[in-house]
Amino acid sequence: MMPMFKPLRSGGDSSAAGLSVLADEELMQLVYRGQAAAFEVIYDRHADAAFSLAYRMCGQRALAEDVVQEGFLSLWRSGARYDRGRGSVRTWVLGIVHNRAIDALRRRTVRERGRISDEGIEERLAAPERTDVEVGRRDEAREVRDALEQLPDEQSRVIELAYFGGLTHVEIATMLDAPVGTIKGRMRLGLAKMRMTLGDPAEVVQ
Amino acid sequence: MSADESHFDPDSCGGNAAPYVLGALTDDENEAFRGHLESCSVCREEVAALQVVAAALPAAAPQLSAPPQLKRRVMASVREDARRRSAHGADELAQDRRAPGQVPARRWRAGALARLQWRPNLAVATFAAAVIALAVVAFASGGGAGTRVSRATVLPRGASASLSVSDGHAQLNILDMPQAAPGRVYELWLKRSASAQPQPTDALFTVARDGAASVGVPGGVSGVSEVLVTSEPLGGSRVPTLPALIVARVA
Repeated sequence: MMPMFKPLRSGGDSSAAGLSVLADEELMQLVYRGQAAAFEVIYDRHADAAFSLAYRMCGQRALAEDVVQEGFLSLWRSGARYDRGRGSVRTWVLGIVHNRAIDALRRRTVRERGRISDEGIEERLAAPERTDVEVGRRDEAREVRDALEQLPDEQSRVIELAYFGGLTHVEIATMLDAPVGTIKGRMRLGLAKMRMTLGDPAEVVQ
Repeated sequence: MSADESHFDPDSCGGNAAPYVLGALTDDENEAFRGHLESCSVCREEVAALQVVAAALPAAAPQLSAPPQLKRRVMASVREDARRRSAHGADELAQDRRAPGQVPARRWRAGALARLQWRPNLAVATFAAAVIALAVVAFASGGGAGTRVSRATVLPRGASASLSVSDGHAQLNILDMPQAAPGRVYELWLKRSASAQPQPTDALFTVARDGAASVGVPGGVSGVSEVLVTSEPLGGSRVPTLPALIVARVA
């Protein structure tokens, strides 16, 4: 699929300061052309969210770093695949990182599963609230967490095991000793309730 | 089971939409459901409705700052890529940015990995000759202070790999590598001297559809002379079962 970009005006300012005022979608056009500086701005904007997701899924700093690194390098090497019709760059980046983390979790061997997690890392790496945007994101994150916590336990659990744990619905059914159909039903009901609670989540987090 | 759940028919159209947006289908189910989506408007609408919630879920994770050294490593690879593409011109850039699925099938058919599994002795001889012929070490001027990049020797035709070492971290960047054969996975090994046996690592990996992968070297490369990659059965091996496909000498 060809990238769906509007042509960038020629003669634009390609300095770091100039790039920082561009929208993600415009930056992706430059990334597609191989501009490392444009990629760096994309990285700066979304690396914290990507690392937070990866660490939540992997529970180990080194593995989370590998996942984020793989994800962003994949983005750099396949910029042509970004299709703005399918959502924001942030959603796309986090989708790539999520898929990479699932791959990493599912290829873990027995010898890796016994590793000790990096307990307490959250305190050392907690993102400071520096700007209005970051404060806003922190509030929005609280809304999403609240919506998840308001679900009945059996629904929030299957969503967390699937999305953050990287488990398949079959593995979850086995773990919880419940029919596969029941697990799928809980997933669907939980997501539908969260959608009602959040209104339009796409607007909440962008 | 709640009353709501008792009314849900997971086998009806749309039953796989929720596990799909959560990434909870198996690889085979995921592939089949993607195909189904192309012809089923019911499932497409269900996925669209649930996808917006799944897209919000990352915000439920505790928000952390990405470590600064992670950015240094990522940008070192990106700048190295950009420099390589610049050096090789627009043709290579266009090749690297090909549409998904366009080239891998062709490369797989022509790839050396399949031949290696049928004729390992020939592969060993070819590889040994290649090791002697090629050992390029470059210092990446634009990859950040202290970043060293070693070009690796790679057996599969058309594939390439380089080892970047920076801030005590090392990563192997691979391009155009054939997919691991069914039931196998790539495994990273560390060799501490020319005569030493390769030591297994926890780094088991596959390559993306375009044949790319970036693999962190567990524990770095202090005291390591070579980083190797072999194809191993799922779950990895304690001792290499096939000759190395990639050898990166640590500069």
